[in-house]
Amino acid sequence: MTFPLLKYCGNQNFYDYQLAASSKASHIGFIFYEGSKRYVRSQEVGRWIGKYPKQKRQKLVGVFVHPTLEELKDVLQYVKLDIIQLHGHETVSFLQEVSHAVKLPIWKAIHHDEEALSLMREYNGVASGYVIDVKTKEAWGGTGQAFNWEVVPDYTQEAARQGVQCFIAGGVNPSNVKQLLLYEPMGIDLASGIEQAGVKSKKLVEDLERKVEQTMNKFPDEQGRFGDFGGKFVPETLMYALEELESGLGEAMADPEFIDLYHKTMKDYSGRPTPVTYARRLSEKIGGANLYLKREDLNHTGAHKINNAIGQGLLAKRMGKEKLVAETGAGQHGVATATIAAYLGLSCKVFMGKKDVERQQLNVFRMELLGAEVIPVESGSQTLKDATNEALRYWVENVEDTFYLIGSVVGPHPYPMMVRDFQRVIGDESKAQFLELKGKLPDVIAACVGGGSNSMGMFYPFLEDDVELIAAEAGGKGEDTAFHAATLAKGRKGVIHGALTYLIQDEAGQIIEPYSISAGLDYPGIGPEHAYLASIDRVHYESITDEETLEAVELLCRLEGILPALESAHALALAIKKAKTLTKEQDILVCLSGRGDKDVHSIQKTLQGGGVHE
Amino acid sequence: MSRLSKTVSASDKMHFIPFITAGDPNIETTIDLALMLQDMGASVLELGIPFSDPLADGPVIQRASLRALAGGMTLSKAMDIVPKMREKGLKIPVIIFTYYNLLLQLGENNFIKKAIENEIDGLLVPDLPYEESAALRSQCREHHLALISLVAPTTSQERLERIGKDSDGFLYCVSSLGVTGVRKTFHPHVLSFLQRVQKASEIPVAVGFGISSKEQVQQLKDYCEGYVVGSAIVREIESREDRLQSAERDQAIEEIRETLSQKLLF
Repeated sequence: MTFPLLKYCGNQNFYDYQLAASSKASHIGFIFYEGSKRYVRSQEVGRWIGKYPKQKRQKLVGVFVHPTLEELKDVLQYVKLDIIQLHGHETVSFLQEVSHAVKLPIWKAIHHDEEALSLMREYNGVASGYVIDVKTKEAWGGTGQAFNWEVVPDYTQEAARQGVQCFIAGGVNPSNVKQLLLYEPMGIDLASGIEQAGVKSKKLVEDLERKVEQTMNKFPDEQGRFGDFGGKFVPETLMYALEELESGLGEAMADPEFIDLYHKTMKDYSGRPTPVTYARRLSEKIGGANLYLKREDLNHTGAHKINNAIGQGLLAKRMGKEKLVAETGAGQHGVATATIAAYLGLSCKVFMGKKDVERQQLNVFRMELLGAEVIPVESGSQTLKDATNEALRYWVENVEDTFYLIGSVVGPHPYPMMVRDFQRVIGDESKAQFLELKGKLPDVIAACVGGGSNSMGMFYPFLEDDVELIAAEAGGKGEDTAFHAATLAKGRKGVIHGALTYLIQDEAGQIIEPYSISAGLDYPGIGPEHAYLASIDRVHYESITDEETLEAVELLCRLEGILPALESAHALALAIKKAKTLTKEQDILVCLSGRGDKDVHSIQKTLQGGGVHE
Repeated sequence: MSRLSKTVSASDKMHFIPFITAGDPNIETTIDLALMLQDMGASVLELGIPFSDPLADGPVIQRASLRALAGGMTLSKAMDIVPKMREKGLKIPVIIFTYYNLLLQLGENNFIKKAIENEIDGLLVPDLPYEESAALRSQCREHHLALISLVAPTTSQERLERIGKDSDGFLYCVSSLGVTGVRKTFHPHVLSFLQRVQKASEIPVAVGFGISSKEQVQQLKDYCEGYVVGSAIVREIESREDRLQSAERDQAIEEIRETLSQKLLF
């Protein structure tokens, strides 16, 4: 699908025009028909264009109804139109006459009815474009009403056959444009749909363009790219495994029985849906926006990680793989994988950096208790990134009976997409719950990001809504020290674990071990979709230090009786900062991705003085 | 025809393509080893660049990477070793074996420019599969630098044909699944795989991953034009790490030559 042409029509004043000229519109339209309420004088339009030049690629369209040649020439004296649009019952021979006289392409407006297609055929070879509109008895042109768009492909096909352009007009606005895009129109003509109180609205134009872009950019694309990011940067020996996974995943996601089983398991086994809790005392204490918590900490095993482990575990079983392998940093994803392996009767190997094995003894024991084999990784820096390398290496060699269950929205395609899709339940539930609770969407949503699976799952269903999305990276002891995991703030583009993304590395490209008080956030890369969302400014990423995190932990414990995971406390700290800048009428939803029992030891050690991680 | 293509297409001998990691354990050793390997009859030298996260490599080459990184080796520095090898008499083509992130950070254009200046003949990027390599491939071609493609026993017939038709220098066939490293046995279908590869490609075929003995080479010789040996060489370097960094270097290298000659040459 290619990006549709956009025509913003009926510009009535300098500001309307200026907005269109600085927008993504391919065509800017003016109505020179005195009978229209959007009529403008050509002298004025000429002045606007002189004052503020349009973009080179943009074309100016003049709209007329049964004009005389003199009228046309008069307008052209002041405005260098690129296209003449005729919006009445002009005949084929009249079009020929105009075309001959003004030497410009002529577009014909066609009113949608049963005759429309045959009418288009009559103008074949004469019209250089069509605008399909709805006509009412009283008014020529622009009625602001939509017609049944199922016939759009017929019009598009006919125009394509003639080798000309075709715009769909009438009643298109930011709320319904996605519907229209399903029918893949060549162009969209908008007037009242982007107006508020009779003038063009910047907000509506931006909203519209964002929706068009989102629909057109269904990410990831076939190469597994989110814009520039993602892809499959893996050894040839892994390509087969990824191809097999991609096709297995595609089949599963298209099978309603699989989707049902996934949701049923989430409900019966993990206790979903998780609630949204209003943090009343905390909100009062901060004074500012209201804070709400999406309680992923109430999942089975105490964090959102289980959502993805259930999804991939069921997929592994469906694909006939009897063995799971996983990587783990602090052990949370390892525990979730070991859990689902036990539940589904699969064997489980967890690769864990030797250093992590030593400092996370309790989780190692938990995994072993669940029947998993924990394999200490002694290569490289002996932490999460090396555990991931080792799991990938193991998978390559054992692909025939083994499924690699990655724990975050990282790795080669299709992992970032698959993990996102198994985590989006967080955002989907939140949306429905918040609407029910407040009758509107939250103003802001905050989540933490290491690899970024809880934030991706939370944000994804809100990407197209008017909701501000903010994410906390681990700032450690400060972005400007050597001790942080602030990948977007301090990293550069590069390849890690099979994906092109941002990563923390030295000048030559060697990957540097990151630091955070929270073992779940110290990953040197970040999910490629996050890198993309940062690049288009859809999500705002900020780093939160260890100190700010601990303050948030204490606040939530004392005021709400909830002990958050250190990861989730990063999101909370960011939300608290944000809340102070907002009003009591505004709401912030925080993804409380996990509970903090696992961190009690680290928290105690730090609060009593002395560092974390030795 | 490039020096690399001429070399690997010439004669019906089985080409010996050794791999060593640049700077393992130091630059002097790398230069001396290159000359020694040429003297042993190597047709092409594969010069590995150490990386912090070598996904395609087994433990032996991982450790070589760590040793070289400890000495501060980088892609750029490794490329600067090649002219020094040439000064001392290295005539055979040199291929740089680097993970993609290192290439990205140096910059593809910078790499190509430097490769030409430093008389480097080719490039192998183990984590850049065919689908991601189009831009780099055409740039390399423009500058007569061979971007070596890899295929594996699990590569589908359709991809094999696409890769086979669009490759330069020689086609690198991975003999076993998994990472680099010495193995007793090849993938069970390796011989039929090599026959498929020969059909799909017009350029010479070399086999790598897991080759450590002349018996294995014998087994392969009717099915390919060359063989790559990495870990089996690097292991010999590793066991003489200290001596290679002392006054005993010449002697240690002589020992490596003898061991490899016995094991690999026939």
